[in-house]
Amino acid sequence: MTNAMELYQMLPKTNCKKCGKTSCMAFAVALMARELTPEDCPPLKEESKYRENYEKLKEIFKPSEGATETGLIVHEDLCFGCGNCVVACPPNVANDPYGVGSGNAPRNVNKLVLTIEDGIVKAQNLEECRRFGKNKILCNGCIVTCPVEAIEFV
Amino acid sequence: MEKNYYVCTGCGLLCDDIEVESEKNIINKVYTACRVGVAHMKEVRGEAGFRVDNAPVDEATAIREAASILKNAKNPLIFGLGTSTDEAQKLAIELARKTDATLDDTSSFCLGPLVEALLQDKIKTCTLDDVRNKADVIIFWGADPSDSHPRHLSKHSYFPRGSEKQRGWEEERTAIAIDVRKSHTAKICGNYFFQIPPEGDAEFIDALIAALSGKLPKTSYNYPPKKILELANILKGAKFGVIFAGLGLIYSLKDMEPVFRLMKALNEKANFQLVPMVGHYNMRGFNENLYAETGYVNRVKFENGTVKHGPEYSVVESLKAKTVDAALIIGSDPLSSLPRSVSKNLLEIPVISIDPCETLTSKHSKVYINTAISGVESGGSATRMDGIKVSFKPVVETARLSDEATLKKIMEAL
Amino acid sequence: MDFGSFLAAPEIKIRIVTYRDIFQDKAMIENRFGEEYRDRSAIIKLDAADLKQLNVKKGDTVILSNSFGRIVVKAEESGYDTPHRGLAYMPNSPWSNMLVSDETGGTGVPKFKDISVTVTSAKGEKVTEFKP
Repeated sequence: MTNAMELYQMLPKTNCKKCGKTSCMAFAVALMARELTPEDCPPLKEESKYRENYEKLKEIFKPSEGATETGLIVHEDLCFGCGNCVVACPPNVANDPYGVGSGNAPRNVNKLVLTIEDGIVKAQNLEECRRFGKNKILCNGCIVTCPVEAIEFV
Repeated sequence: MEKNYYVCTGCGLLCDDIEVESEKNIINKVYTACRVGVAHMKEVRGEAGFRVDNAPVDEATAIREAASILKNAKNPLIFGLGTSTDEAQKLAIELARKTDATLDDTSSFCLGPLVEALLQDKIKTCTLDDVRNKADVIIFWGADPSDSHPRHLSKHSYFPRGSEKQRGWEEERTAIAIDVRKSHTAKICGNYFFQIPPEGDAEFIDALIAALSGKLPKTSYNYPPKKILELANILKGAKFGVIFAGLGLIYSLKDMEPVFRLMKALNEKANFQLVPMVGHYNMRGFNENLYAETGYVNRVKFENGTVKHGPEYSVVESLKAKTVDAALIIGSDPLSSLPRSVSKNLLEIPVISIDPCETLTSKHSKVYINTAISGVESGGSATRMDGIKVSFKPVVETARLSDEATLKKIMEAL
Repeated sequence: MDFGSFLAAPEIKIRIVTYRDIFQDKAMIENRFGEEYRDRSAIIKLDAADLKQLNVKKGDTVILSNSFGRIVVKAEESGYDTPHRGLAYMPNSPWSNMLVSDETGGTGVPKFKDISVTVTSAKGEKVTEFKP
């Protein structure tokens, strides 16, 4: 959807360091990574000339409906339950190699990130997702295997 | 923990790992099945019913009327059966023999020629389990399993780990799509999508055969030779290659000869099998059952104990030439699925429709018998698209007759 | 200059390739006489340039006709990255089957995936219905 450069364009670009980062670009990157929120930039929040951009940024980073701890969103209207993502998801394979990892029904759902319910992919156990937490990896196993772009990270 | 799995009869994959939550014969939740499978299992049912001339009747009247139509016909057509169990199919063959009927199924205008070639050992084939365990090069040719067999890539052909494929799809498998449009499956194949013009398949096959033996591949539509040579190189390196052949390939060929030639050329350089992308859950079963009984996979005419076979006994040609004078349609809707220019002739003869749901054909039938959904409300056995036998039990109970029970009753009434 | 706008209704010849669509299949299982099945079946996916030549916008209805039948369906833009003027795509359905030739050369196999038709704007006419 968006990248750090686009976010940077909406910031004050004064490099005032009030947010604790060394530059506005660094702040943009932190925003992108969801380490900081638009509220963490005092000038943006307080000065009226930035209000429009502040509102826009808040809109982008509001905890969106359906978005999960990793930013994973399933577009349920697009998904048709082929299960490609379920079978390709690395933690799914590691946690259930003979079930979903081998293309079959889950043998152990406890640690599965993705499963299919009523023909639509369902995300859970997000602490297992490679995009979770501080040491996250920008894994895209579920995205590149989806024929209809039903999974997105925001 | 032992789980209770059901088989999904939504398509030729016959997925055997479906979990279901149901209460009072209503299915509330379905796990692991795709959207089509879920729709199939949760299909909303109206009242069971029997109709003659569009008026509700009791079972006995409907069966009697159906038997009388078949008895009075000189050459009834029995058609459909792709979504019937082996047991029902065998009864239909027996019924066709008894009534001197023309018998055909949808494979007649789908993948029949390829299934026939497999049964006659003209082409090397394998199971979907072989594909999961061993396949390194997978070609979807004129086929889009993402739409027709949604779990094909995840359960069998591309993404799963197999006994000899432990490192995952990115490293160990190459999926290739050859098609006239960028289908959902072609999209997943990324750079290995080869887009050809409609009816361009035979030429592409020849160009590929040339490339396999190091010659310059030429096509009248100027397909970049470099790309065909690259493809040939991938195929030459296949330790276990599979071609999944779909209707896009079949419909663009006059006969199967180019496919035979390609398979021969591929197997001189590498190891290739072919599996037809059979759509209906037991279409292959019909082909195998009829083959065991008559030596033909479809398009037969029974006459005084003998069997005739040929395109003139296909559903399309016999309707077109009006050689059939009644029709028993089982689990099929030819008024929707055949060209109207052909199926309109069904409107001129008495039709018996045996189907779990109302269709254009059932609405125009003289006799309609609303049956149980095979695989959801009634059990039996079937043959998966790759030839594996699968048995299944019903998921819920119903008062409706199965098509097997219906055919048995019609037979008794004859 | 856009000559199309001077003609009563521009007409073009199109070759239709049919295909299967999973959501359309799902809709058929749920209700083959329902709106969703109609909306997902009675459509034709055209090249943007063909739409322009027909003077038809996305979502407008068009008439597809040949000697076997005449149907009204919704026009859509295919969205494929490679241009395909003169070629269009339709999900396989009772609608597409209205236009399939009975000519088989005696093979028993109709050309379900290769249909030649003339396309023209339906000028607001409603999509063909298959009512039982």
